[in-house]
Amino acid sequence: MLNILIVGNGQCGNRILDAINKEAFGKKSRFAKFYSQQKYKSNVQTIAINTAVNDLREMKFTKAKDRVHIPHLHGVGANRNVGKHVFEDNKTHIMRKIEERGDFDVCFVITSASGGTGSSFTPMIIQELKEKYDFPVYALVVLPFREEGTLYLQNAAFCLRDMRESGVDGIILADNQFLKQMGGNVESAYNGINDMIARRLLFLLDALDSEMMMVTDLGDFKTVMSGGAGIATIGFYEAETDIPVRTAIQKALSPSGLLFSSNVHEEASRAMIIIRGDRERLSIDEISTEVENLSSAVGHVFKGIIVRNGELPQVLAVLTLESASELETLYSIAVDAIKHEREKKERVASEKEVDRAFSKIDGMDPSY
Amino acid sequence: MAIIKRFLIIFLCVVSFSLAFAGTVSAASVLYNDTIEMGNGYQINNYVIDVTDVFVDANSVSFYVYHRDKEVKDILISRGDSFEFDIDDGGKVKVILNSVVGSVIPRASVSIVLTDYDFRDLHKNELVQGGHRSATFAGTPELKIIKSVDEESINVGDIVRVRVTVENVGDDRATEVLFNEPQQPRFILYDTLVSDPGKTTMDIGESKTPFVYELKATDEGTFELAPTTATFTNDAGQRFPQAASNSPTIIVGPSESLVSADLEFITTFDKHTVSRNERITGTMLIKNEGTAPATGVTVNIIVPDGMRFEGGSGVEQISGVPTIYQETFGIQQQREFSFVLRPTEVGTYTVSTQHSYSFDNGVDQDLQQVSSDDVSRNIRVTEGKYDYLFEQPLYVYLIPLLIIGAVIGWIYYRHKQYKF
Repeated sequence: MLNILIVGNGQCGNRILDAINKEAFGKKSRFAKFYSQQKYKSNVQTIAINTAVNDLREMKFTKAKDRVHIPHLHGVGANRNVGKHVFEDNKTHIMRKIEERGDFDVCFVITSASGGTGSSFTPMIIQELKEKYDFPVYALVVLPFREEGTLYLQNAAFCLRDMRESGVDGIILADNQFLKQMGGNVESAYNGINDMIARRLLFLLDALDSEMMMVTDLGDFKTVMSGGAGIATIGFYEAETDIPVRTAIQKALSPSGLLFSSNVHEEASRAMIIIRGDRERLSIDEISTEVENLSSAVGHVFKGIIVRNGELPQVLAVLTLESASELETLYSIAVDAIKHEREKKERVASEKEVDRAFSKIDGMDPSY
Repeated sequence: MAIIKRFLIIFLCVVSFSLAFAGTVSAASVLYNDTIEMGNGYQINNYVIDVTDVFVDANSVSFYVYHRDKEVKDILISRGDSFEFDIDDGGKVKVILNSVVGSVIPRASVSIVLTDYDFRDLHKNELVQGGHRSATFAGTPELKIIKSVDEESINVGDIVRVRVTVENVGDDRATEVLFNEPQQPRFILYDTLVSDPGKTTMDIGESKTPFVYELKATDEGTFELAPTTATFTNDAGQRFPQAASNSPTIIVGPSESLVSADLEFITTFDKHTVSRNERITGTMLIKNEGTAPATGVTVNIIVPDGMRFEGGSGVEQISGVPTIYQETFGIQQQREFSFVLRPTEVGTYTVSTQHSYSFDNGVDQDLQQVSSDDVSRNIRVTEGKYDYLFEQPLYVYLIPLLIIGAVIGWIYYRHKQYKF
């Protein structure tokens, strides 16, 4: 049994972590925690970290002892510099909370790249973890909507850079911009994204610790994640009708199945495909054909097959990327955003229009 | 022989004791044994033995015996002789001339012996100077008591005046006269105008009115008033049979002024078959169909074991007993009181009520008390809808409770686990 640590940082990380814990109950009901047990195959420990206590309070399926509040007003206000200082001030406390959970085989740190607490805490936590422990640490990073604002874009750019420099073993990208295609209102879109990520991660955890017809394990996962540019994404498809497993694999690898927009046949470096379903529905020929198609493009593909009687085909694909055009696009926008912010700041500093307005009443007193 | 002698001694002793302690003196008793001067006498009750003449030379004496002023015997006897005469109640007096004594006034020495007489009746036994003419005699007072009423025919509630007069029609003064006026049943003493004079005396021919009082008739009918009696003695202290008055008859008719309260108590229930723990409402209807208002109307509702009093309008629990109390209840007034009972046990019950009230009938001084009881129809109490629940063994309740408790405890535990 694997010992897995999942850390959710900041508002986005907390919500995805809560969605994972909710998904682990296997029920949709909000009261599932009262009558059901989480169905983790492995020993999964979850920790939610946030400076905003309200974000921690919003969590419904994560135990109170797994929520760590770092007191600093009500968040760091999307300011990564403030976030870094706060982390430094509370580093001992945070790391002790993690240490209390014991030893782990693998760690996933979930965060948004654009926020304050998550984007500033996550690289530093990863750095601390890598310095203290020898288990692999993977970051699951959610990129912002492009139109969310210049601060978020610049945070995302610097956060990803800091994360690369922190010694992380791999970054799994999930792009809000790409997932916007899901539609619906803002709340349902965010919840949908969170649930989607949670379902993929749970599937992955389940696969890493399951008895399979064809085996993929943590070692395979490490190999996959060590390939490419250290950036990965996850594709997933769960059949709702009785479709051929071939189609399910194709849909998992299609843009609609991926968390981050990518042309897997051109940009992927390594891949791991896990297929789950009823024995009758898992045609080896079809699976082999599709895996061969993928491996001919990306190189090595690990494949695992989990037999679950009565289930429709479900496919999870973990793909590391050699390059990511969408990420380059993001950085281009981010650079513009950084410039825009700098110019605005310099303009305000030089013009001092407000000061001129105030100077008009210099030497005067109010009379009543 | 010795046995016969002993028996004879015992017999003589018994006879001697009987004679010694008997009230009547059958043996002779010497009343006087001395001299009596000529012209004097010796009085025994109303009898006087006058020593009329003493003949010293002839050793003889002439005696005259008088009953009061009436001569009953005269006799001349010589020394050593005697004579006898009878007095009241079979008594015999024997006079014995012992000797004759010569002197300025000659005297006769006599012995006077009384036989067969009760000494308790001997009220006069002495020498009389001057003989019978100077003697004083005891008479017989006779009290004539008349009880009269001013009306012989009255109605209930009417007042009749009673007058008692007494006259001494005897030949002696009545002393230590004590009147006794008994209470008159069916009447109450309304007023006393002349009250008992206490111990008194009545001279010959004297009249008195010891009692004048008024009676109030309480019952219809013909009644004789109980007689007035009196006890008295004569001057000599002799006690006579008590005198009694007549007994006037009074006819008492019905009264138009007599009134009464007549309360009717009716208890009803809204149902007579109920389930256990189901409430039943009782109604107590009180009606006054009499001609007088009632006071102190009290109804005690006796709730049987197995039923419980839940409350009611105008019904209060006094010493644990549901009670209806009305200070007054007017003529032709009627009022309803409701009360609620809850049967707690299955069975058949009756509810008893105890009623009491009082009223002024306009005649008697005291209020008339009326009390009665009543018992309701049977009330059948059947098992309640959910009674079967209470008949199950304990574990039937305990297990669900434990499960519920465990669920609640688990939910609380989980809530605490997830509460941040």
